[in-house]
Amino acid sequence: MVSEDLVVSVCLVLVAASATVAVAVREPVRQALVLAVLGLALAALFTVLQAPDVALSQLAVGSVLTPLLILLSVRKVRRRGHPTGDEAQR
Amino acid sequence: MNAWLWCGTTFLGLGLPPVIWGVASGPLSRRVLAQNTGSTVVALAFLLLAQGYARPSYTDLSLVLSLLGPVGTLVCVRLLADDLSAGASRWSTAVTALCVAASLAVTAAVCAAAAPGRPMVKLLLIGALVALGNVIAARALSVGVLEEADGTR
Repeated sequence: MVSEDLVVSVCLVLVAASATVAVAVREPVRQALVLAVLGLALAALFTVLQAPDVALSQLAVGSVLTPLLILLSVRKVRRRGHPTGDEAQR
Repeated sequence: MNAWLWCGTTFLGLGLPPVIWGVASGPLSRRVLAQNTGSTVVALAFLLLAQGYARPSYTDLSLVLSLLGPVGTLVCVRLLADDLSAGASRWSTAVTALCVAASLAVTAAVCAAAAPGRPMVKLLLIGALVALGNVIAARALSVGVLEEADGTR
């Protein structure tokens, strides 16, 4: 039982580390990449807690959907915010 | 706790901290490369954990991640094409080779323990998808950057 807890502890530490990094990184584009890694760590945590169904949805949401939404929003905001910038030249 | 779980824990414990460090610092291309490596590491850890828990259905997690991980990286490469025009990370080739070697080793170990037949074929497919997805995403990260640079200049 104690050794089973070791897997959970490792995953918890990884989740805490990546979540701290996600807070510490300030730029939204780079934050999206950290959030993808946080989603992976959370999926691993759910798996070792014997919840693979939750981990499946976490994989889909955390590793693809959240970064996609953030990156699309950043793209749209940049276009709207700097119409004469390098985005308008393309 | 059996040897497979130890291996899976070691894989997660040794593989993900460099990924978190890589995704937290450095230029953007290195961060995308680290994110791509992270999905490979976790997919392989899922294979080991499925063997450790003696639940073959847990390999579905690895299968899903082997398909979704490269998709996430390709989305990043596509949407960040402007910011990635500085060039690919110089670690790209070494990290990709390491990932392919790790996926080959893990797939061989898991297949050796699996019963011959459909389960082994599924494990082989998952291992091939993990390695292929990593190579494709890393190649898009370096080649796509070059194409984008050629197109704009």
